[in-house]
Amino acid sequence: MKTLKILFAIAVLILALAPVGAQDVTTVSMWFSEGSTLDCWGPIMLEFNEIDPSVQLEIVPQADTWNVTRTAVAGGGGPDIVRTPGPSFVYEMAQAGLILPMDAFADEMGWGDFFFDWALDLGLVDGQLYSLSDELETLLLYYNTDVFEMNGWTPPDTMDELNALSEEVAAAGYTVFSHGNASWRPSNEWFVGEYMTQIAGPHNVYKALTGQIPWTDESMVNAIEILDAHMQAGWYGGGIDLYFTNDGATRRAMFADGTAAMNIEGSWAIRSLGEYFGESGQDWDWVPVPSHDGTDYFTIGMGNTSSINANSPHPEVAAQFLTWYFSPATQGKMLTACRKGPAPVSISEEVMGELDPRIARVYSELSEASANDRYGYTTWTFWPPKSDVYIYEEVERVWTGEITVMDYLEGLDEVFAEELAAGDIPPIPTR
Amino acid sequence: MAVLTQKKPTTILEKLNDETWRRKFLRNVIIPWIFIAPLLLLHIYVVTIPAVQGIYMSMTDWKGVGQNANFVGLDNYRELFFEDETFGKALGNNIIWMIFFLTVPFILALFAATMLSQIKRGGMVYRSILFIPYVLASVVTITIWKNLLNPQRGVGAALAEMGIQGFDIAYLGRPETALMSIAFIDNWHFWGFLMILFLAAMQSIPPVLYDAAKIDGANRWDEFRHVTLPGIRPVVLFMFMMVAIWSFLAFDYIFLSTQGGPGGASEVIATLLYKNAFFRFEAGYGAAMGVVISIFAGFIIMIFVTLRRRGWDI
Repeated sequence: MKTLKILFAIAVLILALAPVGAQDVTTVSMWFSEGSTLDCWGPIMLEFNEIDPSVQLEIVPQADTWNVTRTAVAGGGGPDIVRTPGPSFVYEMAQAGLILPMDAFADEMGWGDFFFDWALDLGLVDGQLYSLSDELETLLLYYNTDVFEMNGWTPPDTMDELNALSEEVAAAGYTVFSHGNASWRPSNEWFVGEYMTQIAGPHNVYKALTGQIPWTDESMVNAIEILDAHMQAGWYGGGIDLYFTNDGATRRAMFADGTAAMNIEGSWAIRSLGEYFGESGQDWDWVPVPSHDGTDYFTIGMGNTSSINANSPHPEVAAQFLTWYFSPATQGKMLTACRKGPAPVSISEEVMGELDPRIARVYSELSEASANDRYGYTTWTFWPPKSDVYIYEEVERVWTGEITVMDYLEGLDEVFAEELAAGDIPPIPTR
Repeated sequence: MAVLTQKKPTTILEKLNDETWRRKFLRNVIIPWIFIAPLLLLHIYVVTIPAVQGIYMSMTDWKGVGQNANFVGLDNYRELFFEDETFGKALGNNIIWMIFFLTVPFILALFAATMLSQIKRGGMVYRSILFIPYVLASVVTITIWKNLLNPQRGVGAALAEMGIQGFDIAYLGRPETALMSIAFIDNWHFWGFLMILFLAAMQSIPPVLYDAAKIDGANRWDEFRHVTLPGIRPVVLFMFMMVAIWSFLAFDYIFLSTQGGPGGASEVIATLLYKNAFFRFEAGYGAAMGVVISIFAGFIIMIFVTLRRRGWDI
């Protein structure tokens, strides 16, 4: 009987205290793709909850996160912190009033102190800040160092050198670039954007993106013709039909086991290269993708963005989390622990020192390039949605011989002009 | 003999005052509607209203996010039929897909069902084996076949190693073979289902008809033509209608294998719709494609309804 009384007293105490505790805690939610990325990022992001017990982050794993988020937010629900796949998606949500302008939070919480100047500009829609860019990306020319050493090759500096080397690589029986789009068809766009930046030059791409020159400009035609020539030569994946057949695992494996000598891919590839090369026992390194004149241009891309849901009951807490998440300390931690592409913020030298030098070099050189007007543009970050889809869908018709390069660029010009006239272009930092 | 006659109520007021009429009305009209009302309301809420909204959205420039949707009349339809080459190509691929699925699986299923209907022992094992692909998730089927059709590690590569050349080609990577390869994969999963339906229909044909045919000197082919086919005709024709409709809804196998590529070679209306709605932010335009698919389905149903009215046993 006595035990019963004690248990009853405890139960009453718990019931009496529980609502008080619940009222004191403010929780903001974030939806995140299920899988290995969340396994590594999740625990670090949840460290936010230790700072102040009254302010908590809840991570909700989702499959097909972006489509689920978009549907939920459009329906008046969704998470407090809205992640999108890039600035062009933010534009549409901001126009629809689904996310909040964050300028006041940026001033109050000092976001300008740690974000690169141009990076905050990427989140502007009609002059107001709607998103913070995350996962800084660039494309690199990776090469298998064992294959290169064995054949006495050196990494190329210019497009001409790349052409000559590729012919040599192909003649030696290797696949030149380990590629394939079977897992992710939009990977076609990596090369379109990269060849435009490296061959036509980033300044011409800037002019085209701002409507000063058409996409049918001679420099663009030349860039896409060279890309097409590389495809027709069978340098990508071992042949066009194989390019359309190889999936992600296949192309990584063929690079790591020395079947292929090189790979043009984003900095995100670093996350998985270790695993594949660990199995093969060979090694890799990278150089900037060669340009027509030998200048080291780095295309800039953003893997995703974060915004605050217009329906969030606690926007200030969401902003508090974003301040912590995008701080150089948190980004540095995620970079070292998960090899996550950092947000465009200044990461300390100390953190960079802890990294594999090949990875540290990516971000230091990218940072240097962006500060010295040597940056270019990735299609998924700087092109509007219809043009972006056109770029990766229709280029296959060039490669399969259905249309000419000029047909392709005329079509791009038409779609782009429509979006430019409608004001649908994502923010392009002035250069 | 006096005959008691009761005057039948004719006006509304007379009917309402008549107890028998009221009871009959309640039993035959009101109660059935009460029973069906929950389902009807649910149907209106989840089907009718979204369908009407979809038709309206197909006449707007809605981007798929937010509430901004400007009415553009029939512009989306004009663009679909007169300007968008990819739509024409996708529609052509849907028609090829439909022709394939109205022939190959039907022939295979009819043949297999006829053979299996003769088996007295162990038939269930064969049926199960042939039906298993149908219960596999599309993503599993596609993964299996992408590997089997891979020119470097699939069946073609194995044959090449044995000295049989010519089959190690990138079936899904070539514009000329991509669509038919996916149709082949989808058919591998689908035809077992048809076979089971035909087999069930065949088993419902009275055996005496076959006995009579035999007495009349019919051979196997005659039996098939004059007894089996007429006996299962309603099922075959119904499945003809369903397969024709499903052909315009084809999406998962194509999207999971080639996403419509290479170069749009395997693009169908449903994949194009998805890309327009979710990648290009043209949900209004995508809705117009959805309406067109519905119109095609309605047209197919109309053909079958007309044939039935003309006395076809469907």
